[in-house]
Amino acid sequence: MPGPPKAMQAGVALLIPPACRVEVLGDLLERSASARNPLTHYCIEAALTVPLVIMSRIRRTTDLQLLLMHALALYLSYFTVAWLTDRTMLWEPWGLLRLAFPGVVTLLALVLEDAYAKPRHRSPLRLAHGPLFGLGWALLLEAGFWTSLPSLTLPLWILLGGGSLGLLLTSALRLLFSPPSISPQGRV
Amino acid sequence: MAKADSVGQFEQLVLTAILARRDDAYGVSIHSKVEELAHPKAVSLGAVYVTLDRLEDKGMIRSWLSDPTPERGGRAKRCYRLEALGEKALEESAVTAKRIWDGIVEVWGKEWVRGLNKEWGKRPGREPA
Repeated sequence: MPGPPKAMQAGVALLIPPACRVEVLGDLLERSASARNPLTHYCIEAALTVPLVIMSRIRRTTDLQLLLMHALALYLSYFTVAWLTDRTMLWEPWGLLRLAFPGVVTLLALVLEDAYAKPRHRSPLRLAHGPLFGLGWALLLEAGFWTSLPSLTLPLWILLGGGSLGLLLTSALRLLFSPPSISPQGRV
Repeated sequence: MAKADSVGQFEQLVLTAILARRDDAYGVSIHSKVEELAHPKAVSLGAVYVTLDRLEDKGMIRSWLSDPTPERGGRAKRCYRLEALGEKALEESAVTAKRIWDGIVEVWGKEWVRGLNKEWGKRPGREPA
C-alpha cells in the first residue's frame, strides 16, 4: 500500500504551526506506515489530530489579558474615529456592532499570527506583523460586506482611520507586553 | 520541595507512559502506551499532544528534539522526560490510587480482587495483579 503522497503531507504541514510541525508530521507518518491502509489512516488521523494541535498551540501562545487589552484598544480606535468624524453613525441600527467587526477579525489574525509564528524569530518589526496582517483581514472583511451585506460596512474614512489607530495601539501593546510565544513550545 | 499541581486521570496516564517508555518517550510511543493503559477506551493522538503541552507548561515534563530518522521521512522526534515535579505528582497519584484500592478491597473483599484478576488476565497485554 502506498503511503500518503508528498503533496498531501505538504498540505498537512501547512496547517500545523511551525513550532510543532516536524514532530507531528513525523508521528503521523510513522503511525500510518504500520496501518493496513496508510493513505486512509493518514487522512483520518491528520483530520483528528491537527485541529487539537492548533488549539493547543493557540492556548500556549495566547495571553488572555493581552488579548482583552487588544480588543479594547481596537474597539476604542474605531469608536474614537467614528465619534470624531461621523457621530450619527453610532446611533444608527447596529452602529456600535458594525464598529466591532474589523476589531474581531484583527484579533483573530493576531491570535493566529502568534500561533503560527516561527520560534526564535522575534524582533520588534515582527511584532507589527500581526496587527498589519489583521488590518489586511479587516479590509478584506469590509470588502466582503460591501459586496454582500452593504448595511454592515463602515464608512471608508472610519475604517482607514480606525484601522491605522488600531495598528498603532496594538503594535505598541505588543512591544510593551511581548506575546508568550518566544520559546519553541510556547510558554515554558 | 515545590508542591506538585494536582493532575487529572488522563494526565496521570500520560505521565505513567513517559515513565514507562524511559528514553524512548515520544509522541507515537507515548500514545501507544496510553492506549494500552486506558484500554478499552480509544485515545486520540491529538489528545496526547494537548496533554503533553499542558504538562510541559506545568513544568512536570521537559521536551527536546531528537535527530531525524528515515522511517519518519527524515523528521525528528520530540522526546519527553519527567521532571521532579512530574515525578512527585505521579507519586502522589499512585499513593491516592493505592488508598482507593485498599478502601475498596476492605469493603468488597478478596473475592472481588480474584474476580478482577481473572477479568484482567483475559485482556490483551495485561498481567494479573
